[in-house]
Amino acid sequence: MTIYEQIADEVVKGQAVAVKELVNQALSENISAEDVLNNGLVAGMNVVSEKFKNNEFFIPEVLVSARAMTAGLDILNPLLAEANVKSRGKVVIGTVKGDLHDIGKNIVGMMLQGAGYEIVDLGADVPKEKFIEFTQKESANMVGMSALLTTTMIYMQEIIQGLEEAGLRDKVKVIIGGAPVTQAYADQIGADGYAPDAASAIDLAKGLLE
Amino acid sequence: MQAGQIPILRVEADTIPRAYEQAIKEVWEKGISVRTEYDRPEDPPSRDATVVIVVREPFAQPRFHRSFADGLGGLAEYVMEVVHGAHDYWVKPLEEILKGKESQDTRWTYTYHGRLFEYRIEDQVIDQIDAMINKLSGTGYTRRAQAITWNPKLDPPTEDPPCLQRVWGRLCEDGEGGYVFNMNTHWRSRDLFKAWFENVIAITTLMRKIAERIAEKIDNPVRLGRYADISDSLHIYGSYFREIEGDPEKGIKSFFDKLESRSFEERTWHSDFVKPHFIDDGLGKGLKPMLEREKEMPADVRQAIDLELRSMEQEDYIV
Repeated sequence: MTIYEQIADEVVKGQAVAVKELVNQALSENISAEDVLNNGLVAGMNVVSEKFKNNEFFIPEVLVSARAMTAGLDILNPLLAEANVKSRGKVVIGTVKGDLHDIGKNIVGMMLQGAGYEIVDLGADVPKEKFIEFTQKESANMVGMSALLTTTMIYMQEIIQGLEEAGLRDKVKVIIGGAPVTQAYADQIGADGYAPDAASAIDLAKGLLE
Repeated sequence: MQAGQIPILRVEADTIPRAYEQAIKEVWEKGISVRTEYDRPEDPPSRDATVVIVVREPFAQPRFHRSFADGLGGLAEYVMEVVHGAHDYWVKPLEEILKGKESQDTRWTYTYHGRLFEYRIEDQVIDQIDAMINKLSGTGYTRRAQAITWNPKLDPPTEDPPCLQRVWGRLCEDGEGGYVFNMNTHWRSRDLFKAWFENVIAITTLMRKIAERIAEKIDNPVRLGRYADISDSLHIYGSYFREIEGDPEKGIKSFFDKLESRSFEERTWHSDFVKPHFIDDGLGKGLKPMLEREKEMPADVRQAIDLELRSMEQEDYIV
């Protein structure tokens, strides 16, 4: 097994300590941070993403793998910045104001990060102003909004209107998700896409950004 | 069984994950098809039954199934919510709760901890868990040690009334000079596929706390007995059927194929694997991040969680 395969394997198994050790070992063997990222961490998360999409992995396993990936990424990030390695795109995500549910949003964020995108996670209970502020400040390519309540999903429309008023709507793709959300609702409020679950959201985001 | 009759099912297993898997299988195969308030028009009717689930050893390993709708850090925070009242401060004021569906306030209408430890009635606040502990410490065999959650004034008008209704416990002699604490919980309604497991991890942690406090009070060992979990409506929502059935044409496995394709060890976790994730899952959840993030949490609750965190950092503590 190559060092890349070992890193990917430990990411899949969710072994954060082992990932850290292997990433450090790879760097000490003069392998570039970018190669460790793409052939080790991202390769591992791709396996996780595929397994999740095919209903072979459970949600907590995805998050345990994401934790392992993040442990490796923490070591690589300063080196990637030093080498001026660019991400594949920047996505601002959050659960809308009044809603504290964040699991779906977290999974989408983690999987996109694992696919090489930069994630700006605004957390839960996020007001319109914050979505607009960070979309602008981070020059984001995509905004992802989540809501799990019928009472909070209506706020998504306000955020899209806010992006329009700020002159940002044409510059970003907007995707939405959450239990009460439907394709019809996405069409109604002018979102670019809707996904019924986290696994489909990854494909949707990748499709819209590439 | 005659049409329109809700089946009554019984599941018994040594561990929580075994009981969980068996319950999903039983409800899926034998449950009645019936609509719920949460089904969307396009969803098929939910699968539903009245179910009694017995876990003979609630802390036996492996204690954690890998199938639930959160991460391990999020689960740890939920346990703190039930056992220590971490989110009692998220409950909206009484005047907003009384507005029922008209309320625009999206904060919560209750927490289990709030109802069990601070039940409000006639201008009084009653710690029902403390009362249970006192009752059982005095007369272990009492049948009157229980705590309720339902508030007949506040709950009927709300969109999300409590699922847990009652906690009941009894001590029995173990024949060796110590005692066994048996606990039952009664639930009005329950999402089996995405809530049952987390509920049970939290409620059995509460069970252990109660047993520990009784042991301390009576100065005698109290070990955990079986945990019985009784739901009037234990259901699998129609919106989950896609996950349960999979999509063979697209290569998406059914939930049951997913279980069969992996060994029991591969679909569960032991407490020692879970513990570091409970402390900090590395993704902003867990006890440490929770204490850092939730600055508005009252000082006494923060202190209780901090104490829990320190216990958790000890090698012999089982989550």
